[in-house]
Amino acid sequence: MTESATSTTDWFTRRRRYKRLMYGSLVAGIVGLFIGSYLDQFLAGVVVYWAGFFGMLGVWQFSPVDLYDERDTALERKASDYTLGVFAFVLVLGAPGGIALEESGVATLPPAFSGAMWALVAVYAVFSVIYTVLRRRS
Amino acid sequence: MKNSLRNHREQTGESQADLAAAVGVSRQSINAIERERYDPSLELAFKLAAHYDCRIEELFDPELDN
Repeated sequence: MTESATSTTDWFTRRRRYKRLMYGSLVAGIVGLFIGSYLDQFLAGVVVYWAGFFGMLGVWQFSPVDLYDERDTALERKASDYTLGVFAFVLVLGAPGGIALEESGVATLPPAFSGAMWALVAVYAVFSVIYTVLRRRS
Repeated sequence: MKNSLRNHREQTGESQADLAAAVGVSRQSINAIERERYDPSLELAFKLAAHYDCRIEELFDPELDN
């Protein structure tokens, strides 16, 4: 194997290793949560879960190799865009539609419906604040 | 964006993985650029041009109307 091929393999191997470590940490946390819950030790399970989650964040942030590249970021951004778009439709059409159904007596919606609508309002409120801050800074 | 990345890479006999490791992205990203399904950032475009010791315009053709 040439020197270049060896270093390429090394780079990909290290990247794969850190990615496995990152996801492994999260999976270990989730498994710990389930085991803790199964053994009636929910608090201990939550502690293991948090440890796994923060372990994942630690590997992601402090890994010596970049685990995600700019295309991953671009795809994530596009997926977030589409997701926000889909739920914008749900909120814009669903909220007044639900109120109209209730007011006209056609249907009685469960409390979870208004809870979901308010949760979406909160998501878009946070989005608006973050967007405004980013816009002022750019 | 049209590009000649595959030609440049094949001329040097590199694999997509070699090029990916050299510029610090995934092999899938190099593949997506070569298939013109992803336009790289300016930073990555400069890295690719530097890797092949050429100008960005020799790698990428923005196909401007004017």
